[in-house]
Amino acid sequence: MTAIRIEQLTRTFGPVRAVDNISLDIAHGELFTLLGPSGCGKTTLLRMIAGFVEVESGSISFGDRRIDNLPAHRRDTGMVFQNYAIFPNHTVAENVAYGLKARKVSAADIKSRVDKALERVRLAGYGPRSPHQLSGGQLQRVAIARALVIEPAVLLFDEPLSNLDAQLRTEMRIEIRQLQQALGLTAIYVTHDQEEALAISDRIAVLRHGKVEQVDTPERIYRMPQTAFVAEFLGSTNMVPGVAKAFDGRNTQVAAAGTEFLVRGEVAAPGAPVLLSLRPEALRLSDGSDAALVHARLALREFLGPVQRLHATLPDGTRLRVSALGGAAFDALPGAPLVLAYDPAQIIAFPAP
Amino acid sequence: MKRFATIVALGSLVLLAVFLLYPLALVLDASVRIDGTGAFTFGNYAAIVKSRYYLGSIGNSLLAAGLATGLACAIGIPLAFCLARVDVPGRALLLTLASLPLVLPSFVSAYALVLLFGHAGVVTTALRGIGIPIGSIYGMPGIVIVFTLTLYPYVVMPVLAGFQAVDASMEEAARNLGGSQSYAVRTVLLPIVMPAILAGGLLVFIEALENFGVPAVLAEDRPFLAVDIFKLFAGESDANPAAAGALSVLLIACTALALLVQRHYLGKRRFSTSARSAPAKLSLTPGLRLAAAIMSWGIVIVSLLPFAAVLMVSVLRFRGPVLTWELGLDNYATLLSGSYRPLLNTLTLASVAAVATMLIGAPIGYVVARHRSRLSGLLDFVGMVPFAVSGTILAIGLIVAFNSGPLVLTGGWLILVIAYVVRKLPFAIRSSSAIVHQLDPSLEEASVNLGVSPSKTFATLTVPLMASGLVGGLVLVWITAASELSATIVLYSSRWATTTVVMYHAIEGTGAGLAAAAAAVLILVTAIPLLLINRRVNKQEATVI
Ligand SMILES: Nc1ncnc2c1ncn2[C@@H]1O[C@H](COP(=O)(O)OP(=O)(O)OP(=O)(O)O)[C@@H](O)[C@H]1O
Ligand SMILES: [Mg+2]
Repeated sequence: MTAIRIEQLTRTFGPVRAVDNISLDIAHGELFTLLGPSGCGKTTLLRMIAGFVEVESGSISFGDRRIDNLPAHRRDTGMVFQNYAIFPNHTVAENVAYGLKARKVSAADIKSRVDKALERVRLAGYGPRSPHQLSGGQLQRVAIARALVIEPAVLLFDEPLSNLDAQLRTEMRIEIRQLQQALGLTAIYVTHDQEEALAISDRIAVLRHGKVEQVDTPERIYRMPQTAFVAEFLGSTNMVPGVAKAFDGRNTQVAAAGTEFLVRGEVAAPGAPVLLSLRPEALRLSDGSDAALVHARLALREFLGPVQRLHATLPDGTRLRVSALGGAAFDALPGAPLVLAYDPAQIIAFPAP
Repeated sequence: MKRFATIVALGSLVLLAVFLLYPLALVLDASVRIDGTGAFTFGNYAAIVKSRYYLGSIGNSLLAAGLATGLACAIGIPLAFCLARVDVPGRALLLTLASLPLVLPSFVSAYALVLLFGHAGVVTTALRGIGIPIGSIYGMPGIVIVFTLTLYPYVVMPVLAGFQAVDASMEEAARNLGGSQSYAVRTVLLPIVMPAILAGGLLVFIEALENFGVPAVLAEDRPFLAVDIFKLFAGESDANPAAAGALSVLLIACTALALLVQRHYLGKRRFSTSARSAPAKLSLTPGLRLAAAIMSWGIVIVSLLPFAAVLMVSVLRFRGPVLTWELGLDNYATLLSGSYRPLLNTLTLASVAAVATMLIGAPIGYVVARHRSRLSGLLDFVGMVPFAVSGTILAIGLIVAFNSGPLVLTGGWLILVIAYVVRKLPFAIRSSSAIVHQLDPSLEEASVNLGVSPSKTFATLTVPLMASGLVGGLVLVWITAASELSATIVLYSSRWATTTVVMYHAIEGTGAGLAAAAAAVLILVTAIPLLLINRRVNKQEATVI
């Protein structure tokens, strides 16, 4: 059982607080994702867990055992590197056997475990090959097999898929998820791809400037972002500044972009400035039966296959992105009036910074 | 990881402190003591400043180094430009040959000049025979010529890299904006290449200043710093260790200053040849192309000619000091009839030194490249100190340090090996850290992550990955150790005399034939391994992914 507890972890590089007083509890068997923009400290945090970056203050424990003072080679983590880090001077099988040899596993056991691990990542029979005879996706699978085969306490992934093409990336992330669940291993996964994070995680921590903005399940992170930053980082939301007005017992009126929006609940005192997050898919073209409506004009239409994206201009000129199903016949020309409907419960208001 | 780096750094610093800094400190100390009583004084420096002889010696050394630097740039820059931008026939071979003079022993080249143009030289005698007298090549002219011809590759290599690092698009952009070709050269090319020229030029300067063998062969009566230091320390009649110490300190000061400037420039700018698109070869008229080819091949051939001449002369008979045109292996017979010992010593000492240098240098290079910390910064700095210390001075320091006391090394083989290791260490450190820079650090991290300790990872993963580069470094250290003269001449004992020592004494005496044979042996000893690694490196390049 490997639950991970990170307490008040800090690491600075000169003036940069790469990891800034982070505390996290990760349950056994969880796939926990660190998500955030470039430079927010994801890699630093992961490498502190692996033992490659020294801890300045705070602690890391696996179960009851504090590990932040152990040398990297004694921490029993299995790391999958962004650039695979396959040893070029060893065959595929030798690469996978590498950690087992270090653990002094008997030769017979090594053989059977390596074969099984290669089978798991769908590379059965590739053992004798030399790494340069493999494609990028295959190399990444070798890297995963090499980390899995030692049955580490914790699996660590640092943007493992970022060097692969889009299609392979979506296939591989499913494979990673299934392997992790089948083996019941605790895993920490670093990515800056929000879709990848949402697709495979049990829980996500969104990081910004070395601090945790929010820790939650993918659904809650997406639907109930606690900060404007999280809302903006997950999905291309529309952020519209406004001013709160009266609360009618159910919704709050917010004046924004030259019109008015209704937001569920009492979000702010009247007169307080707020920031509204309107997800493109929370807006739709009204069929006339809706209660909450805004009037806008069509500025531009992008046809993207399964969906089309409408760029609507609000009365004061603010642009909104609206996702509409691609199949829906829609042949309005730019400049045409649009009536947009929404559910007040799906609009989120943040106090304006 | 950190522990491994710390252990390597501390261990190496201790070694360097004992075998480099401590001996140097003793040299410095000797320079501020009154000989005999040991009282503190600046008198030794005052004596130098007052002595016309010593000032002349310093002046000659600086002048020769300065002239050689200028001339090396004058031939090195055009050669580098032709190699980079002109479609010279046989370019690959030319490149290989152009780097040869750096590893061939320069005093052999100097000796070749004596054989050809000296008092009893082949050419001199021939020309005198038909009534054309030629000026003396002894002293300044010969020394500057030899320095230029053996050191110009130091300019060619970085400048060539600089020319190739100029992205074609930069030059095209400059021309696209309406500049003429010469304008583009002035505004785009030169600013990029200038630091490379400076870096290469300063290396020539340092090497020329430190060099002992060339002035020892060619100076005749002119005083030169490196030779005077040796004579003052080891001379039978006029020994004056305190003055030797003071001159040493001055020489180190000069080279250290040049080295600091050089490092400053190299540190600021990296010349990577990874320009996205190497600039196109210039389209020249056939005439210009021919001129470029003749010039390029001419420089390289002239610089290698002395070595060819020595090989040739070594199979001719001498009658006394006078060369005859009869073929014969008498010279070699004389060389080996004495004893096989010196040749065997050369091979053994060079082998032990090369292995030891790489064993010590590779971990240092690794730590310096991988682990940035104050300690590794210090190691990097101390590891480069031997560059600024000539072999003679280091050897003097070693003798003073290990002539008595708890560790007595003088007279044995170990002190020679130590001198070679210390002198070649910067090279080993640089070449291995260059290789490490090309290795993906996540490979080592993956190994550590899988449970292999950092020291074992270094030995079982990093070293094999560095292997091809390390073999190259090993061979080059071997070659330069085998032809080392300046430290050897101070440190050898009769039991451990090397081929270079035999040659030196033969030149000093009248054993012209013997010297030629010894020189030829040295050329072969250095050239053969070089050819071997060339093939090996090529083969490895093909198998490396
Ligand atoms: N060794 C280091 N020395 C100095 N600064 C560092 C070092 N490592 C990281 N940093 C700094 O710490 C911050 C966090 O870096 P980190 O690599 O953890 O970001 P990241 O979230 O992984 O970004 P990316 O998505 O680009 O990989 C950055 O500002 C970075 O510049
Ligand atoms: Mg990162």
